[in-house]
Amino acid sequence: MITARLACAVSGLSFIAACEGTQNVLAPASPDARLIASLSWWMFALAVLILIVTLGLLLVAVALRRNGEARAISRRRATILVVLGGVVAPICAIVAVTVSGAAIGDETEGGRRIDGATVRVAGERWWWEFSYLAADGEVLAVTANELHLPVGRRSRILLESDNVIHSFWAPNLQGKTDLIPGATNMLFAEPEVSGEWRGQCAEFCGLQHGLMGFLVIGEPPEDFAGWLAAQAEPAAVTSHPGLGVFLSLGCGECHTIRGSTADGEIGPDLTHLASRRTLAAATLPNTRGHLAGWITSTQEIKPGALMPEIVPDPADLQHLLDFLEALE
Amino acid sequence: MSDARPLEGSQRDAAAEFAKLERTWQSPEGFLGWFTHVNHTNIGRRFVVTSGVFFLLSGILALIMRLQLLTPLNDVLDPETYSQVMTVHGTAMMFLFAIPAMEGVGIYLVPLMVGARDMAFPRLNAFGYYVYLIGGVTFFVSLPLGLAPNAGWFNYVPLSGREFAEGYGVDIWTTMITFIEISALTAAVELIVTIFKLRVPGMSLNRMPIFVWTILVMSFMIMFAMPSVIVASAFLMMDRLIETQFFVPEMGGSVLLWQHLFWFFGHPEVYIILVPALGIVTSIVVTFSQRPVFGYTALVLAVVGVGMVSFGLWVHHMYTTGLPLMGRSFFQAASAMISIPAGVQIYCWIATMWGAKIRFATPMLWVLGFFAIFITGGLTGVMVASVPFDRQVHDTYFVVAHFHYVLVGGAVFPLMAGLYYWFPKASGRLMDERLGKWSCVLVFVGFNLAFFPMHQLGLEGMPRRVYTYLPGLGWDWMNQLATLGAFTLAGGFGLTFWNAIRSLRRGEIAGDNPWDAPTLEWATTSPPLNCNFARQAVVRNSEPLWTWKEENRRTVVDGLSTTRRETIVTTLLDARPQSVQILPSPTPWPFFSAVAASICFFGLIFSPWFYVIGVFATFVTFTFWFLPRKREEVV
Amino acid sequence: MSEEDRITVEVLVDARELSRLTPKTHPLWWGVAGAVAIEAAVVANLLTSYFYLMAQNEVWPPEGVAPPDLLWATIVLFVLPLSSLTMWWAGVGSDRNRKTQLALGVTASVALATLALGIRALQIDAFDIRWDQHAYGSIVWTITGFHFTHVVSAILGTAVVSVLAWMDYFTSERQLGVVVDTLYWYFVAGVFLPIYLVLYWAPRLL
Ligand code: HEA
Ligand code: HEA
Ligand code: HEC
Ligand code: CUA
Ligand SMILES: [Cu+2]
Repeated sequence: MITARLACAVSGLSFIAACEGTQNVLAPASPDARLIASLSWWMFALAVLILIVTLGLLLVAVALRRNGEARAISRRRATILVVLGGVVAPICAIVAVTVSGAAIGDETEGGRRIDGATVRVAGERWWWEFSYLAADGEVLAVTANELHLPVGRRSRILLESDNVIHSFWAPNLQGKTDLIPGATNMLFAEPEVSGEWRGQCAEFCGLQHGLMGFLVIGEPPEDFAGWLAAQAEPAAVTSHPGLGVFLSLGCGECHTIRGSTADGEIGPDLTHLASRRTLAAATLPNTRGHLAGWITSTQEIKPGALMPEIVPDPADLQHLLDFLEALE
Repeated sequence: MSDARPLEGSQRDAAAEFAKLERTWQSPEGFLGWFTHVNHTNIGRRFVVTSGVFFLLSGILALIMRLQLLTPLNDVLDPETYSQVMTVHGTAMMFLFAIPAMEGVGIYLVPLMVGARDMAFPRLNAFGYYVYLIGGVTFFVSLPLGLAPNAGWFNYVPLSGREFAEGYGVDIWTTMITFIEISALTAAVELIVTIFKLRVPGMSLNRMPIFVWTILVMSFMIMFAMPSVIVASAFLMMDRLIETQFFVPEMGGSVLLWQHLFWFFGHPEVYIILVPALGIVTSIVVTFSQRPVFGYTALVLAVVGVGMVSFGLWVHHMYTTGLPLMGRSFFQAASAMISIPAGVQIYCWIATMWGAKIRFATPMLWVLGFFAIFITGGLTGVMVASVPFDRQVHDTYFVVAHFHYVLVGGAVFPLMAGLYYWFPKASGRLMDERLGKWSCVLVFVGFNLAFFPMHQLGLEGMPRRVYTYLPGLGWDWMNQLATLGAFTLAGGFGLTFWNAIRSLRRGEIAGDNPWDAPTLEWATTSPPLNCNFARQAVVRNSEPLWTWKEENRRTVVDGLSTTRRETIVTTLLDARPQSVQILPSPTPWPFFSAVAASICFFGLIFSPWFYVIGVFATFVTFTFWFLPRKREEVV
Repeated sequence: MSEEDRITVEVLVDARELSRLTPKTHPLWWGVAGAVAIEAAVVANLLTSYFYLMAQNEVWPPEGVAPPDLLWATIVLFVLPLSSLTMWWAGVGSDRNRKTQLALGVTASVALATLALGIRALQIDAFDIRWDQHAYGSIVWTITGFHFTHVVSAILGTAVVSVLAWMDYFTSERQLGVVVDTLYWYFVAGVFLPIYLVLYWAPRLL
C-alpha cells in the first residue's frame, strides 16, 4: 500500500518516462564515457569470440567419439591446444586489458584542462549537496540533487563525505568514484551536448541507498552562468505567510533558506527549491502534489529518511506549499 | 568386502579380525553418541549436509529478494528487511555454504583418496564442525528476530561502525565470521597435515589426485587469507564495543584500512571456493573420459598459480576508491593474469576429453554446464579487471552477474556434479538419472534467464543493493525475467534435493565403483567401512584402480592393529612409510569445547564478563580434551 | 565380489615394523607448525595495519604522545629468549629421559615468562595514550594485548606440562606433548622481536 501510493505518484510522470537511456553506460554523452563505451563494445566482442571458440572446441572434443571408437588427440596437438588457449590467448588479453586500461584511465581520469565549474559534492544520507566553488575556493552557491554543468567544458568534481561511503555515478558522463570519509576524491565531467541525465549513488550507504539519485543537466555555458548567478542569490521571497509556517514547524532546524532565519544543515538547501526538477534525491517530480505528499508522508515514500513526517493543518499546508513553490 | 579377504590363516580368523577392526572404528550410536563422533566420514557428511541446508535457506532469501525486485517500487520487503535479507544471503552463501561445503567435501574425500583411515586430528575436526554449526544457526536465527546484520557481506565501515549501525546486527556478523574462521582454520590445518603425512605408501606428491592438490591449495589459502579478516573483524568489534578508533578518520583511523584487510582476504576467498571445485571437475572429467588427465603437471602448477596470484589482486575490488591510477594498473594486469591458469585448466580438460568415449551421465552434464557458465563468468571477470570499464560497472548488477556466473557456475555446478558423482559412494545408492538430467537442464536454463539480463541491467545503470527502483528507467522487464529465471532455477535445485532424499532409500544399489573411477575412494565399499580400508593400499601411479584392474592384483599394507585406531604415516614428498599414528576414539569434549567457546564469543557482544567466563570454561574443556585417558592415546 | 575374488592381494608394506612413538615426525608436530603459521600471519597483518595507519597520519604518534618506553620492553626482549633456552634444555632432558631436567626446565620457563608478563603489565600501564584516544593508541594496545594473551596462554599450557612433569607423567610415549609445547613456546618468544621493533623503534626511527 505504502509504495503503491508512490508508484502511482510516479507513474504519471513524463520526466521519468523520458528517463530511459539517461542512466546508461552505453549511451555516452561525454568524451570519457564514449571512450569507455567503445572499450566495452570491444571487450564484449572479444569475449563472445573467446566464448564461442572455447565452447566450440569443447563440443568438438566431446562429440568426436561419435565416429566410433575413442580417438585421442596426439600429445603434441594437445600441447599446442593448451599453449594457444591457455597461454598465448590470455597473454594477449592481459596486454590488451592493461594497455587499454592504463591509456583510457589516463584519458578519463586526467584533468587535462579544467575550464568548467568546480563543484564540491557532499554525500549525505540519502541525498546530494552540490556547492559551486570559485577559483579561490569560496562557495558561490549551494544546491541539492541537481547538478548543472556547462556543455563542452571540463568541470572538476570534488567528492567528500562526513558520514558513510557513497559513490557518485552518472554513467552517461563518467565512471564512478567513491566519497570516502576522511579523504577528498576527484573526477571530471564534460558533457558534449545539452541534456538531462540521471545519476545514482552506487555504494551501499544504508536504508535509502536505493533512492539516492540526482539529475545532471548539461547546458550551454551562457545558460549555465545565468543559472549559477541565480542560484547564488538569496531566496526570491523572504516574507510570506508560508515562511512563518515553515519556521514554526521547525523546518528551519534542518533546512537553509538563504535570506531567512532558516539555516539548518541536516537537509538540502531549499533556497531555490522551485527551480529544481525533482524532490527527495530525484525520486519525485517537483510538483505541488508531490511536495505536499513528501512533507506529510516522508516515511512512506522513503522509509528511514532523516526527515520526520510533518502534517500541518490544511490551511498552513497550503501556505507552506505556496511559499515553497515561490522559491524560484 | 573384497579387501577384507584373508591373507594368511583361515577364512574365519580373518573374518573375526576384520569384525574387530570394524568395531574399533565404529562410531557410537544413539542421540548422545552423535556428539562423540570423530570419524571423518561422519564429520564430512555433516559439513556437507549442514552447508546444503544453509544453501537452501540462503537460496530462499534470494528468491524473496527477487520477488521484491519483480516490479519497481514493490513492497514485499521494507528497506531494513531488504538490507538484512541481502546481507544474510551474501554472507551465508559465502561463509556458511560455499566454503564449508568445499571443506566438507574435502574432509569426506581426502582421507579416502589418499587411502588413510581418518584425518590426522579427528577430534579437532569434530570441534570445527560444532563451531560452524553453532555460528551458522545463530546467524540465521538473527534474521527472524530482526537482529541480522544489514551492512552487506563485505560490511564496509563506517556503515558498519558504531555510529551508523546500531543494535547487535554487525556484532553478530563479526562473531559469526570469527566462528567460521576458527572452523575453517582447523579444517585447513587438518587437511594439510592429512595430505602431507597420511598418504598411503607410494602416493608421492606427483601421484596425488588433482582433487587432493586442490584441497591442499585451498587449505593453504585459508591459512594465509583468513588471518586478515580475523584482524579486520577484531578491529571492528573493538571499535564497536570498546571504542577503539581504527576506522574513525577524525581520530587517526582509516576507512580504507577495512577495505584493504577485507579484500586481502575476500579475493582469495573466492578462489578458496573455486579451487576445490576445479578438483571436482577434474575427477569427473577423468572418470567419464576413462583416461588419465592430460597435463597433470600443468594442472597442478595452474592450481598452485591461482592460489599464489590471488593474493595480489585484492585492489581490483577498490578501483573506485580513489587510489592512484598507477597502482591500479598493476592490479589490473595481475587480475587479468588469472586467465592464464584458468585457460590452462580449461584447455587441459578439453584435451583430456578430446575424442574420448564420454559417458554422458548426470555428473558429466553438470560439468558441461560448469564449462559454459564458468567461462562466461570468467570472461566478464577479465572485463571488470579493466579499470575504466570497472569504474562504470562496479557496484552494479553487471558485477552481480559476474560473480553469480563464477560462483554458481564455478562452485555450485561442480558441487552438484560432485553430489551425483559421490552420492553412491557415501550412501551406497545411485541417484536417479532422469531426475538428475531434468534438474541440470532446468537449473541451466533458469540460471541464464535469471542472471544474463543482469549484465544489461548493470550497463543500463542499475546499482546493486537497491531495495527498489523507479519505474521508467527501462529496468522493469529485465528484472521480471531475472525473477522468473530465479524461480526456474530454484525448481531445478528442488528436483535435485528431492532426488537425493528419495535415492537414499530407493536408489539403485551402487556397488564399490559404479563409474569405474581410478582413485582410491572407490577402492572400498559404498558407503565406506568404519575403518575406510580393511587394508590400506600401496600405490604406484595416480590411477591405482585402473592398474589393479589391469594387473588383476591389489597392493596393500599389512600389520596395523585391529584393536586400536591406527593409520600409516609416510614421508612428505615420496610417501615412504615412516611410522604409524594412533588416532583417538570417540569423545564428547570437542562438543563441550565448542559450546564453551561460543559462550565466550557470543557473550562478548553483551558483556565482557561472558568473555572471562567463556575463556575459563574453554580452558577447562581443552584440558580435559587433551588429557589422554588411555596410555596410548596421545593426541 | 566374484570378480574381486580373483584378484591377488600382495602385501608390500608391513606396518608391524614401523614405530608408533615418533614425537618429532608425528603429524601433531605439523599441526602445531600450522597453528604457528596462522598466528604469524595474524601478527603480520597487525604489523602491516600499524604501518598503514602510520602512513595515513602525518604525525605519528599523535601530537603530545611519547613513544612507549624502551627500557622494560628491552628487558623483556631478553627474558623471553632466555625462557626459550630453558625450554630447549627441558626438551633435551625429555629426549634423554632425564625427568628432573625436564621438570626443572619447564618450571624455569614458566617462571621467566611470568616475570616477563609482569614487566609487560607494568609497561602497558605506563603507555602514554589510551586505546580509545587515537588510532595510534588502538593499534599499540591491540598488538600488545595480542602478544600478552599469547604469553598467558603459553604459560597456562606450559604450567600444565610442568605439573605433569613433576608428577612424572611423561613417559617416552607421551613426550609428544612436550615437543609440541616447546614449538609453540619458541614462536611466542620469537614473535616478540618484530613486535618490539615495530612498536618501540618504528615511531622513533621513521
Ligand atoms: C568463484 C568465484 C569467483 C571467480 C572464479 C572469479 C574470477 C574472476 N574475477 Fe571475480 N568476483 C567474485 C567471484 C569470483 N570471481 C565475487 C564474489 C565478486 C564480487 C564481490 C562483491 O563485490 O560482492 C567478484 C568481483 C570481481 C571484481 C571486482 C568487480 C567490482 O566490484 O567492480 C573483479 C575485478 O577485477 C573480478 C575479476 C575476476 C577475474 C579476472 C577472474 C578470473 O579468475 C577469471 C578467469 C577465467 C577465465 C578468463 C575464463 C577461462 C579462460 C579461458 C577460456 C581462456 C581464454 C581467456 C582469455 C583469453 C581471456 N571479480
Ligand atoms: C555461493 C554464493 C551465491 C549463490 C549460490 C547465490 C545464489 C543466488 N543469488 Fe546471490 N549473492 C551472493 C552469493 C551467492 N548467490 C553474494 C555474495 C551476493 C552479494 C551480497 C551483498 O551485496 O552483500 C549476492 C547477491 C545477490 C543479489 C543482489 C542483491 C542486491 O544487490 O541487492 C541477487 C539478486 O537477484 C541474488 C540472487 C541470487 C539467486 C536468485 C540465487 C540462486 O542461484 C539461488 C538458488 C537456490 C535456491 C533457491 C535454494 C535451493 C532450492 C530449492 C531447495 C528448491 C526448493 C525451494 C523453493 C522453490 C523455494 N544474489
Ligand atoms: C530533522 C530534519 C528535518 C526537518 C525537521 C525537515 N526536513 Fe526536510 N529534509 C530533511 C532531509 C534529511 C531531507 C533529504 C531526504 C532525502 O532525500 O533522503 C529533506 C528533504 C526535504 C525536501 C526535498 C528537497 C530536495 O531538494 O529534494 C523538502 C522539499 C523538504 N525536506 C521540506 C521540508 C519541510 C517543508 C519541512 C517542515 C515541514 C521539513 N523539510 C522539515 C530533513 C528535515
Ligand atoms: Cu549513498 Cu548509496
Ligand atoms: Cu576479486
